[in-house]
Amino acid sequence: MFDQESLSRRALGALLLFLASGLSGAQGPRIAGELDAAGLRERLAREKGRVVLLNFWATWCDPCREEFPDLVRLQNAYASKGLRVLGVTTDFASQMPAVDKFLAAQKPSFPNYRKKSGGDDQAFIEAVDRSWGGELPFSVLYGRDGRKIKTLSGKHTYADYEKEVRALIR
Amino acid sequence: MRIHRLALLFAAVAGAAAVSRAAGPEIGSPAPAFQLQTLDGGSFSLADAAKTHKAVVVMFVATKCPYSNAYNDRMRDMAAAYEKRGVLFVGINSNKTEPADEVRAHAKQHGLAFPLMKDPDNKVADLYDARHTPEIYVVDPSGKLVYHGRIDENYEDASKVSSPDLKNALDQLLAGQAVAKAETKAFGCSIKRV
Repeated sequence: MFDQESLSRRALGALLLFLASGLSGAQGPRIAGELDAAGLRERLAREKGRVVLLNFWATWCDPCREEFPDLVRLQNAYASKGLRVLGVTTDFASQMPAVDKFLAAQKPSFPNYRKKSGGDDQAFIEAVDRSWGGELPFSVLYGRDGRKIKTLSGKHTYADYEKEVRALIR
Repeated sequence: MRIHRLALLFAAVAGAAAVSRAAGPEIGSPAPAFQLQTLDGGSFSLADAAKTHKAVVVMFVATKCPYSNAYNDRMRDMAAAYEKRGVLFVGINSNKTEPADEVRAHAKQHGLAFPLMKDPDNKVADLYDARHTPEIYVVDPSGKLVYHGRIDENYEDASKVSSPDLKNALDQLLAGQAVAKAETKAFGCSIKRV
């Protein structure tokens, strides 16, 4: 069907595409893993001694995307004082290309995970906080001792988050 | 002493302020009454609709939310199927970012024939403490809230639903039974309030 030159050109093209996709992926941070409710509890336990701002987001969620740059800024400003922002996306597995693209553009210095597919979301939501109705974005603040301090439903400003973090970071 | 009292007062006020929205109605309590204009120019009163139907399903919906859009077909089909059994489905769009024309066009595109209404200043969403889309409330003929939550647990694939919570609630209500699972939760898009 194809002559040898055409096949070689196709092979070279495929190789270049493969290398380019590898390079573009390497440019941005990627999802650090998948978490279910138990995995999230264990992940949070590793941050004891730090103030943690846990943020749930999704690429299709406009207010999530809008506030994300402020979370990146917040982590950069307060990392040395003991803040750890942890992101968890609820995007479907099929939406991972959009997630990678989003993270590559935002360049967060904090880790982001994906909520593991499967299981009943209600159990996950209630394990995070019983007051959570499942709306996104949703954030939870934990003190240095690991105790849950406050939940923040919906989009918030940099000033809102900074105020909460500063109260805990002292 | 005076300072101590002031401190206590401040703490109480600060505590109250931490709760950003009033809690919504509880299962078994009267569903808050409201009246809205439908997008076809009519008027909808929950109290009147409850009296004339075996159940009213109030759905907070959106045009751009992927979770809400994942349920367009299910909302359309359930509304048609349950209409024959005396149940009225209505959709409320409380998102300030989605104007009436957009909601109308979206309904036409997806064949949503049930009454739809805009909720100016998200007053009804506030009344119910509705937080996201889709979020469902079922009201019985006496005006009481009998179900609150999701349509089912699987937004990704309607053919693989294992917990059809809204359907179960309606079937139980129509059979004269108590709704076994009256509160459910799922992820959704925050309602874009004013």
